[in-house]
Amino acid sequence: MKWLRTNKGTTLFWIVAAFLFLLPFVYESRNLMILLTQIFIFSVFAMSYDLLLGFTGIVSFGHAMFFGIGAYSIGIFMKRFEPTMLNFLLALLATLALTALVSFLVGLLTLRLKSHFYAMLTLSLSGLFLVAAEKWRSLTHGNDGFTFRVPEQFIDRTDYYLICLLIIAAVFMMLKRFTNSPLGRVLQAIRENEQRTESLGFHVLHYKIAASIVSGVLAGIAGILYAMSLRFVNTSVFSMDITLDALLMTIIGGVGTLYGAMIGAGLIEFAHDWLTGLAKEHWIFERWIIFFGIIYILVVMFFPKGIVGTLRTITWKRKKQQAVKKKEKLAG
Amino acid sequence: MSELLQLKDIETHIGQYHILQGVSLEVKRGEVTVLLGRNGAGKTTTLRTIMGFTPASKGSVIFKGESIHTLAPYTIANKGIGFVPEDQGIFSGLTVEENMKVAMQKENTETLKRMDWILELFPDLKKFWKKPGGLLSGGQKQMLAIARAYINENELLLIDEPSKGLAPIVVEKVMESITQMKEQRTIVLVEQNFMMASTIGDRYYIIDDGQTVSHGTMQELKENEEKKRKYLGIA
Amino acid sequence: MDLFLNLALNGLATGMLIFLLAAGLTLIFGLMDVLNFAHGGLFAWGAYSGLWIYGKTGSFLIGIAGAILTGFLLGIITEKWIIKPVYGNHVQQILITLGLMLVLSEMLKVIWGPNQITATPPDYLKGSWELGGVIIIKYRVFIILAGLLIYTCVQFLLKKTKIGLVVRAGVMNKEMVQALGINIQKVFMFVFMIGAGMAALGGVLLGPYSGVIHAGMGMEFAILAFIVVVIGGMGNFSGSILAAILVGLSGSFMAYYVPDLSLAVNMLLMAVVLIIRPQGLFGAKG
Repeated sequence: MKWLRTNKGTTLFWIVAAFLFLLPFVYESRNLMILLTQIFIFSVFAMSYDLLLGFTGIVSFGHAMFFGIGAYSIGIFMKRFEPTMLNFLLALLATLALTALVSFLVGLLTLRLKSHFYAMLTLSLSGLFLVAAEKWRSLTHGNDGFTFRVPEQFIDRTDYYLICLLIIAAVFMMLKRFTNSPLGRVLQAIRENEQRTESLGFHVLHYKIAASIVSGVLAGIAGILYAMSLRFVNTSVFSMDITLDALLMTIIGGVGTLYGAMIGAGLIEFAHDWLTGLAKEHWIFERWIIFFGIIYILVVMFFPKGIVGTLRTITWKRKKQQAVKKKEKLAG
Repeated sequence: MSELLQLKDIETHIGQYHILQGVSLEVKRGEVTVLLGRNGAGKTTTLRTIMGFTPASKGSVIFKGESIHTLAPYTIANKGIGFVPEDQGIFSGLTVEENMKVAMQKENTETLKRMDWILELFPDLKKFWKKPGGLLSGGQKQMLAIARAYINENELLLIDEPSKGLAPIVVEKVMESITQMKEQRTIVLVEQNFMMASTIGDRYYIIDDGQTVSHGTMQELKENEEKKRKYLGIA
Repeated sequence: MDLFLNLALNGLATGMLIFLLAAGLTLIFGLMDVLNFAHGGLFAWGAYSGLWIYGKTGSFLIGIAGAILTGFLLGIITEKWIIKPVYGNHVQQILITLGLMLVLSEMLKVIWGPNQITATPPDYLKGSWELGGVIIIKYRVFIILAGLLIYTCVQFLLKKTKIGLVVRAGVMNKEMVQALGINIQKVFMFVFMIGAGMAALGGVLLGPYSGVIHAGMGMEFAILAFIVVVIGGMGNFSGSILAAILVGLSGSFMAYYVPDLSLAVNMLLMAVVLIIRPQGLFGAKG
């Protein structure tokens, strides 16, 4: 019982996960399944971003490149070779290697400099990946992209839904442990005060690079899942919009909490689905993202902790008030 | 009213640190008030709080009968306070001339008169008029910083450790210039060099652990061996 | 020779456009320590508003003036309502400017539609001159001259006027500027306004040069401008024009010989600078 009380968030997470696990068996809706799968994938992506922004205080504007590397790796492997499990594993391996390498190099180049440099270099580099994907037509079919087949294990929508649910749970648990590990504590210390962490004897650069590699690799995995759910990939996976999605999700949901990233992903994907549906009624809904842009700016300005962080502060304050009241009662 | 500046129970926080925990002092017109105390006692923060760079969280700063502790630094400066920071704050890429120009608020005959006076006091500045401030020696930088603070009609000058890092012969020169300025300006001086402080100071305040713990005329302090030993470590 | 000259002129013209964007970025960064990721949005807004006014009035010059005015206005709004509230917090600033970028480019689509818009130079800037067998496109020369003019004006402003002096002093030591009785907030706003105006001018000049404008062009050019800012040295105004010309020329020549690698070469250049001289190729800031 005590564990439940101290780990309210985790408990809630497992309850929701269990509910989502049972959902396809009781309620059959292909559209909802696809939407939820999408939310799971973007939750993984947003959580990987949260590790950088929320836990380490690193601003990346090129997270799409890791997503895109994953998406293209799987696409190219499945298209060029047979869609077998073995080739899937090879694609996974390629993604892991490539995302780790790229994030390592970018980190090495800029993480020792001011935060602006990392944001700028990642932004430009993901621009470069986008151009490369457009130009290297023999491999990527340029802007039009290409469709591909996936291993039979991943064909069924419900199965795929469950696989993605499994992965989001695994990634969540892993990141939870990671951020609570001694390494994760150092990352949070870096976010709070980089110089002091350095002066305590931690080699800040190494830790930052470690965080960026873990984050990059997870983003790559999200990219794989995304491309496999569509069985199609084109240059849009490298576009700024993907990075912006991650930003909006983590910032609005609440940075440095993991839950926030998932809530943000759910919120934005739902809104996306709903508002583009409304585009038939009025064209302004075609530009639904502008609403989120404005909300995002307001959140950065007034609620830098996002939904989850702000809720936490409120409940914490209320608890404190209750405690004070109790004391007063006892005294009176 | 002879007090030009008053600090009443000032408390200042920088980040999570409670640096000043009760600084009170009165600066009389036409005098040189010296702030003494150990390193890290809060002398520099006191000056920066007066300037509004590290605003006070409690207490009040009253200058010419008006409370100024809620104002922005530039407004405070414009009330007539000149500031010479610890690191002199020279614009190293600008020439001596340009450094002075940035400081000059009006270019009228009064200002030009002051300029003549200050260049007479610091002939080195004239010599290096077109040289970048970054190329000046430590003493010359100090002179330039003092000149910048003096050039406007400031009634009060806050000078933070003018002798720091300077050769004894240069310290003497700076000291002499401050002595000359004393006739026209009220000065608050932070100084570790007791010899210098006691020569030009009229009144002293000792700050220890963020609080003003002792004050009086400089003559009294010179004769009080115990205080000197206790707070300043001078035997 | 003909080819070489044309590629060089092309590169110079592109370089000038990038310079107009990068100059504001670098000035704002030098003074305020803010890297404005929305700068490309101001560039695109300059293009759309300027060409719209040009279309309505029929006068390209009025269009240009309108673009600059739009830039000034957006610059003031951005500084006052977006940057100032989060002043001093780097992460928040970076995040908020990118959010603004998103809103600015979406707003363009709301007002002028999501499709690209074509643009042509006015008659007097159409066509080309022939000089000793070499064909020189008029509009390119116009852009180069405009860029040089702006460079000279801003250089004059910085070196010869009181406000320019204060800006340069502010880049070196913000606090001391305030201690001398100068309202740094006003200086910030002024610099932001000038920077935004230059970006908007770059945008409207780009329109007839590339023939079409679209909402994504802000980001495309902003990436080049970031490369320029790094190569030239963050906060270094004179460095930014040299770096912009370098990037423009390398882009132009690469685009002709190895078109697929032109962005990659510039990126490589930036990576090399980041490794060996993070303060930029062209001296210290100032």
